[in-house]
Amino acid sequence: MKVEVNNPAVEFHDLTVSYDKKPVLWNIDMTLPEGKLIGIIGPNGAGKSTLIKAAMGLLPLGSGYVRLFDQPLDEVRQRVSYVPQRGTVDWDFPTSVMDIVLMGRYGKLGLLRRPSKADKALALSCLEKVGMEAFRKRQISQLSGGQQQRVFLARALAQEADLYFMDEPFAGVDAATETAILEILQGLADQGKTVIVVHHDLQSAAEFFDWIILLNMRLVAAGPIEQVFTNALLQETYGGKLTVLSEVSELIKKRSVPSREKY
Amino acid sequence: MMETLKAFFSFSDPSIVSVTLGAVLLSASSAVVGTFTFLKKKALVGDAVAHAVLPGICLAFLLAGNKNPLILLIGAFITGWISLVLIDWITARSKIKEDTAIALVLSVFFGIGILLLTRIQHTGNAAQTGLQSFLFGKAAALVGQDLLIFGIVAVLLLCTVALFFKELKLIAFDEAFAQATGLPVKGLNLLLTTLTVLAVVTGIQAVGVVLMAAMLITPAAAARFWTDSVLRMTLIAAFMGAFAGLAGAFVSYTAPTMPTGPWIVMIISLLALFSFFFAPQRGILYRQYEQRQLQRQIMEENVLKELYHLGEKDQGSHSGRSLEELIEERYFPEKRLRTALRRLRKKGWVQQQNGQWGFTKAGQEKGRRVVKLHRLWEAYLSTYLKIAPDHVHEDAETIEHIITPELEAELEQMLDFPDRDPHQSKIPY
Repeated sequence: MKVEVNNPAVEFHDLTVSYDKKPVLWNIDMTLPEGKLIGIIGPNGAGKSTLIKAAMGLLPLGSGYVRLFDQPLDEVRQRVSYVPQRGTVDWDFPTSVMDIVLMGRYGKLGLLRRPSKADKALALSCLEKVGMEAFRKRQISQLSGGQQQRVFLARALAQEADLYFMDEPFAGVDAATETAILEILQGLADQGKTVIVVHHDLQSAAEFFDWIILLNMRLVAAGPIEQVFTNALLQETYGGKLTVLSEVSELIKKRSVPSREKY
Repeated sequence: MMETLKAFFSFSDPSIVSVTLGAVLLSASSAVVGTFTFLKKKALVGDAVAHAVLPGICLAFLLAGNKNPLILLIGAFITGWISLVLIDWITARSKIKEDTAIALVLSVFFGIGILLLTRIQHTGNAAQTGLQSFLFGKAAALVGQDLLIFGIVAVLLLCTVALFFKELKLIAFDEAFAQATGLPVKGLNLLLTTLTVLAVVTGIQAVGVVLMAAMLITPAAAARFWTDSVLRMTLIAAFMGAFAGLAGAFVSYTAPTMPTGPWIVMIISLLALFSFFFAPQRGILYRQYEQRQLQRQIMEENVLKELYHLGEKDQGSHSGRSLEELIEERYFPEKRLRTALRRLRKKGWVQQQNGQWGFTKAGQEKGRRVVKLHRLWEAYLSTYLKIAPDHVHEDAETIEHIITPELEAELEQMLDFPDRDPHQSKIPY
């Protein structure tokens, strides 16, 4: 079950990605529409994070390609924003909330230039949007999980992108933060921006997203939520573990087989 | 002593100026570069590079036949660099983990270095004297051409870090994000590697290969105790490094038999030790002081709470109580109870009349709040966590001391100002 779109924001073409030599995504091929709030759903180890890392060029691709706005990533980097999982950074790092949000401007600033007054004003307004302006001088180790996530979101907003990839922005946040984040993401989609979110909670996924990608090492389904969020497809994603696929992956890792033959 | 200080700081002797300037520059620049290796959690890498430059120095000497500092520096740079590449390569290509790779590279390179050094010493080449000073450093030799070259490299290091400050900060905090925004992360990592090798190569002139890691990492580790900002941390590290350099030069001036390098390391280590114990917020003593304050607060609040309980039993008459009555209500060690009561009197929360202790108005208010928080928390546990009423008391004993006024208001709202706790005791508002 796959719905293709014209003029996609993102196009995955026959993408195969390995992690630590073990293939975790097989032949992902789909197009994603612009201006939608898109959820990537699947069980643990399904390759959800891997998919967006591959789209952001953070992992080498085994085969296939990703095009954003019909262009290669390097041509459109300034239009794309990436929010890593909260747990991937050291929150005891000696820096302030404001400093983290300003990092969202570094890409546009380029090397050597320092953030200007306008950059700082923008960063502050992004903090306001996530309700964290009172915390701007706080050291980041003093933040709660939900506040950390809001700061990461503010940093992404400061990038002023058209396409957002977010890795588990709702993981481990309180109810108030969840609502706040969801409102901001919906606001972005309403402005015609595309937001792609890795999400692990099926129950809330049904309420959050316009478009759903069901993933479990391979693409199970992708399309508008009312067509994709069906019992049969969810069953296939969560229940139908393809044992042979996993075993072949293990074999490839063990013997260091390249994922495509080269001559 | 004053005389020596005066003589030193008048800088009348040009060689003192030279040595001091050299020691300060080298220590400060390695401290600044080290801040970023520290933040990237690559502290041990500096140690590996420091040991790996020795074969480079020896090879350069063998090839050139003299001790031209520029040539030795280039030799050191090359092997230092190779060692880092090798560590990365081993980690990426084999099942060996990074710490093992570092240990392997460090010992192999250092072994080769010592081998070459011993061989050079036995050739009888007159030019080789002093080459072994790279092992433990010889800051006193920082004069003339040497100072010029090492000084230039040190200034170059400082400028480069200043120029790329925001990028270095970002790759230390969140490399994936840096790469996603299109910053040249590989190039920046290469830059930091190069800076680290250069800092080591220049620094060993002052402290030698064996102690070099301390120059990179110790100032940063010490500075981390004093601030929560990368910029200030870098500046404090630089300042501590510079101070250690200055102090080391001074020590070897007053006692010429004293080696400068080890003294610099000693002083920077003392600074780190001092920070470890005495820094506000993060220092050990401050933390212990905070713990003590908390213990005192808990004790005082418990006394006020028991006074309040006794009052409740007497239908709200908060008259004076004897120590025995209090201890009977709840066991306190008598000595601790006395000191707590004396502290409470000083704060104006209790008063003493004929050996009887009673509330002041403010103290009663305070006792009432603790009792209220205790019972509110019990109500919360049984309503929201469905914990049986006979299991909630112990938990509330702790929580009553830490609930903030904001949480207090939230609890009241959520529970809709309950009348009674799960034990049917009245909650006093």
